[in-house]
Amino acid sequence: MFSKILIANRGEIAVRIIRACKEMDIRTVAIYSQADRDSLHVQLADEAVCIGAPASSESYLNIPAIISAAEITNVEAIHPGYGFLAENHHFAEICESCNIKFIGPTPEAIRLMGDKVIAKETVRKMGVPLTPGGKGVIKTKEEALEVAKRLKYPVIIKAAAGGGGKGMRVCHNDVALVSSFTMAQKEAHANFGNQDVYIEKYIADPRHIEFQIMADHHGHIIHLGERDCSIQRRHQKLLEEAPSPALDGKLRKKMGEIAVKAAKAIDYRSVGTVEFLLDRNGEFYFMEMNTRIQVEHPVTEMVTGVDIVKEQIRMANGEKFKIRQEDVKIHGASIECRINAEDPENKFMPCPGKIEVLNFPGGRGVRVDTHIYPGYTIGPYYDSMVAKLIVHGQNRSEAIKIMRRALQEFYIAPIKTTVGLHSQIIDHPQFLQGNVSTHFIEKLMHEDPEARK
Amino acid sequence: MNLKEIKEMINLMNENDLVELEVEREGSKIKIRKSSSETASALRPFPEYRMETQAASPKLVETTPPAVTPEKKTHEIISPMVGTFYRAPSPEAPPFVEIGQVVEVGQVVCIVEAMKLMNEIKSEVRGKIIEVSVENAEPVEFGQRLFLVEPV
Repeated sequence: MFSKILIANRGEIAVRIIRACKEMDIRTVAIYSQADRDSLHVQLADEAVCIGAPASSESYLNIPAIISAAEITNVEAIHPGYGFLAENHHFAEICESCNIKFIGPTPEAIRLMGDKVIAKETVRKMGVPLTPGGKGVIKTKEEALEVAKRLKYPVIIKAAAGGGGKGMRVCHNDVALVSSFTMAQKEAHANFGNQDVYIEKYIADPRHIEFQIMADHHGHIIHLGERDCSIQRRHQKLLEEAPSPALDGKLRKKMGEIAVKAAKAIDYRSVGTVEFLLDRNGEFYFMEMNTRIQVEHPVTEMVTGVDIVKEQIRMANGEKFKIRQEDVKIHGASIECRINAEDPENKFMPCPGKIEVLNFPGGRGVRVDTHIYPGYTIGPYYDSMVAKLIVHGQNRSEAIKIMRRALQEFYIAPIKTTVGLHSQIIDHPQFLQGNVSTHFIEKLMHEDPEARK
Repeated sequence: MNLKEIKEMINLMNENDLVELEVEREGSKIKIRKSSSETASALRPFPEYRMETQAASPKLVETTPPAVTPEKKTHEIISPMVGTFYRAPSPEAPPFVEIGQVVEVGQVVCIVEAMKLMNEIKSEVRGKIIEVSVENAEPVEFGQRLFLVEPV
């Protein structure tokens, strides 16, 4: 097993990975920017190296600095977490060439799935159902109009190199399409350095269903069931649950097999997630594959009992993943709420600042994954998620009751957070019925989903 | 009830640390409630505590206290990158600078090696080297002090 791992990340996921390493007797190296000197992951790691100024480009995205830190601390492997360099195939390649194990898939798998157009073409050949869409990159307005006419409105324009909900535009008619097309290209270029866009049929009222993939280096690939991540605001997930109230055993088996097929299509290794859209008629369509560990991995851990981070490290070490598909059982139900330091009553303005008072909920069935502590100052440089509140109950009804109770115990001051918003969601009749789509939040908040933040 | 009685009730509340008082008499009822200026909370505030750093310092390099505490105006030459610090251009060569030596602006004072690339670090001031803060071939992090210079 690796004797030392460098965690190329920060915040709660860095803490998560360090914890898994400690439990496996693996020494840990934290990297941090000058802004993160007091961060929890720095304090918990065995060693810590300051790698740059606060800006992400100078620190957590700074490949030479991170590789240099890995070399001087003599680590055997790097865990990239999620975001930052986790899906950067150049980084994965550089690790390989420096003889440092990248804890994740091969650079080739990252590259294939990182381009959303190539990803779809690759899985299409394996018989994976796709959202009806124009073939490949759309270069001109005229092409766009033709594709839209064939697919029928509404359609959505997406960035080929995109993700995280950025650079997406929904169009309901020709006029909107023409203006959105150029804007989408500009946005794609600004956000991802690549102006390629593609067009798909926009599925009304879909659910976002994703499957957790586990793949070792010996060709053994299985799924650990699904997560329902339909509750999103502007394409950012707020709340996730496992299992999905919309799936029965039959649909789960069908979708799960397709998810594994997609992973096999690219000879996948390590952990990953295959995302689908599920429409009201039970039809599902492949959206994309994320070649990293995801924020919401805890809900799968709670219902399956599998420690996904530990297994990911073991698989990177070349060990065989021992669980067979038939061994995977879903026990009870789990819900996760992403708590952000934002003010929902003030357009979700980020609320950096010092945490004076903090109380996390506890008790049976409650788990909090976080990097914050009393006295910690939340800075303005990175994303606003401060904690993940995860619950597990014997069924969905109990999980909801535990979450309601846990949200009431969650106290933080004077920072404003989205705890109150989550309480509203958890009490909402539609949510209780398990009857939500990706439009749920915008309807709840009477917001325009396509308005720029 | 008259104003005097109401004032007495308010005093009664304050003296006894009451939050709410309700009095009914001769058909009239009055309720007085103290408004809390704090945000409503079911919990008493927790005492603030800082995370205790572990006994073993998580810092990469054991920073020995500098031999010279800067009393006069001094300038720190800090490392702009993560890497390994070298005092000389090669193992057999003499060091770039020694203590007591005066360096010019732009003069190379050391090398920080990162990913097999040798990066020359130059002084930004004209001055006398009064401290070499890192041992040869030791790792350094971003922002770490390499030299202390007394500008002349």
